[in-house]
Amino acid sequence: MAVPGHRLDRMFNPKTVVVIGDKGPGYMWLNSNMPFKQKGGNLYSVQLDPKEIEGIEKLGVQNFTSLADVPGEVDYAVVAVPRQVSPFVLKDLIAKKANGAGFFTSGFAETGEELGIKLQDQLTQMAREANFNLVGPNCMGLYLPKVGVRFSADAAVANDGKIGFLSQSGTHGIMFSLVSAANGLHVSRCASFGNAVVLDVSDYVEYLAADDETEVIGMYVEGVKDGRRFFRVLREACAKKPVVVWKGGQTEAGARATRSHTGSLAAPQSVWDGMMRQCGAITTNSLDETIDVMKALLLTKAPKGDGMALLAQTGGQSVSITDAFAKAGFSVPRFTDATYAELQGFFNIIGGSYQNPLDMGGTIAGNLEVLDRILRIVDADPNIDGMAMELSAMFAARQWKHKPETLDQMLDAIRVHMDRSAKPFVVILHPAHEEEYIGSIKPKFNERQIPVFASFDRAAAAMARVRAYGQR
Amino acid sequence: MTFETVLARARAEGRTLLNEVEAKQVLRDAGVPVTNTTLATTREEAQSQAEAAGYPVVLKVVSPDIAHKSDAGGVKLNLKSKDDVAAAYDAIMASCKQHVPGAKITGVAVQHMAPQGTEVIVGMTTDPQFGPVMMFGLGGIMVEVLKDVSFRLVPLTSRDAGQMIGEIKGKPILDGVRGQPASDIEALKNTIVKVAEFVEKHPEVQELDLNPVFAYPDGAIAVDARIVVAGA
Repeated sequence: MAVPGHRLDRMFNPKTVVVIGDKGPGYMWLNSNMPFKQKGGNLYSVQLDPKEIEGIEKLGVQNFTSLADVPGEVDYAVVAVPRQVSPFVLKDLIAKKANGAGFFTSGFAETGEELGIKLQDQLTQMAREANFNLVGPNCMGLYLPKVGVRFSADAAVANDGKIGFLSQSGTHGIMFSLVSAANGLHVSRCASFGNAVVLDVSDYVEYLAADDETEVIGMYVEGVKDGRRFFRVLREACAKKPVVVWKGGQTEAGARATRSHTGSLAAPQSVWDGMMRQCGAITTNSLDETIDVMKALLLTKAPKGDGMALLAQTGGQSVSITDAFAKAGFSVPRFTDATYAELQGFFNIIGGSYQNPLDMGGTIAGNLEVLDRILRIVDADPNIDGMAMELSAMFAARQWKHKPETLDQMLDAIRVHMDRSAKPFVVILHPAHEEEYIGSIKPKFNERQIPVFASFDRAAAAMARVRAYGQR
Repeated sequence: MTFETVLARARAEGRTLLNEVEAKQVLRDAGVPVTNTTLATTREEAQSQAEAAGYPVVLKVVSPDIAHKSDAGGVKLNLKSKDDVAAAYDAIMASCKQHVPGAKITGVAVQHMAPQGTEVIVGMTTDPQFGPVMMFGLGGIMVEVLKDVSFRLVPLTSRDAGQMIGEIKGKPILDGVRGQPASDIEALKNTIVKVAEFVEKHPEVQELDLNPVFAYPDGAIAVDARIVVAGA
């Protein structure tokens, strides 16, 4: 859904996209945006160089030598021209009344060079005066998977994106898009915003907070231009939907002049941490942590308490999974007597245990009815607020490879459980010695929207963040 | 004296640091619990103020030129009589003049010596990115060595203040350990909230330390205060 009336609305929902200054032989930007054309969008090129035009036309994209000649309204432009040319392009974009443009062009203030700084100031002043939505410069711009606008030819085209992602770094923006897609999670709208000379992270957060398609907002941010505004916008966004903030550059900056004890203790990261908690944001420290918590937020429910039932396949792992969840702040409570009484009736205690954590591999022994029975009994236990279940490549990979339907049937059984249960459920599947095979079956989990994690620690950390978010 | 009056006087004198007596006065007006502190400019004034405050009392030098009062011999604790006060007054004047020759000495701050409580620090600083920021921490070694402090931006709610207190690692000390009674968390929250309201109302305040604040099982009180204001 769009956010009618918002100043960024047209560029986030474009009907006409222009690529300015793309070059062969790769034509990276035109190729990345080809899905937009295939989906019926108007994709045009602006290129003056006759040597490049032939290649552009071969791609089936209509080229113009002047932006003014492009038919109709321009909603979004990708600018990939040399830095000296960028002010002229911006002038044309403003004259054309384009809604916004992502400036891939770099070599500005980030270089520390006099010319770069001067050109950046020029762009900033021009865009501000015209109230023009300049994304960047020195960025990868927008990624809009639903309409096919992409900042990388590897990025997915998808209609079901629920994550709005913002990144000060182009790399982290692309990496997030690729890794989240590999985990079955898609982006609704993403902006890599680089030097943020005009639009800063707060402008994008405001849009994503209002955007119905975006259920969760994530961001990679190193610093903000207007801290007070970011504080206000972040707090308002957190009141509407979960916001995950991955703050980069956490080492302390140089001390500043201060005359109070408080001032000498106020390290920038400590102030950030306090500010983020005050807003109710979920904080992470890496790409993996960011993806993990988004997966937990989108694919499972929030635990209403700290009591976890831990379902391991073997005794050793039942200890390890308990350590991981306890370290993350969860309790692993005793089941009620009623639960024990029910489990006792069929549990194979030779090489197994029906205490929490469960050591249940020997009891299930491939029988999905038994698995389903255990899930039902544990789910009904009032001491339990959520479940985490280990799947063991060590024992099962051989069987799954031999009879793939056994894996499919088990995942279906898990899905049935997740649909009927009001409590969160996550799966841990260690790649162990079967990394390649486990990678190959991950799509089976993704298709069924089963949240799967590569280690006990990662699952526990993601669940702890979701739990803390619920208690904020 | 209102904050505006204190500020105008400091600025007229070219100061950006409010002295302890000024700082406590404006904070008290803002509802922050501080020890009642008065300024004496003669030995006799110090004596009569001590009588009024009730023994034991503390005398501290007030001087724009002396930042480290204890190092200059400018602090005398646990004074129990008029004679003690007179002797302490003379000793402070002599020692400060010797340690910081030429220092302008405004006078001596006189206050009742509050009973020892659990020491905490409540402060505020102006962050270059986020503006006014409140800090809370346990006093002494916890703040000096472990930097066990938490921050929230101004404005903040009582709930935010509760989280600030709750997230420091030394929180169990406030909950009471080894037979020590628990500290009055509500009183600490109130102190944080009142200081935050004060700095929000007065954007001239750049930095502020209440160090230490004594936390008791019933109540809390700031026994030292320091405020840095922006230059005119």
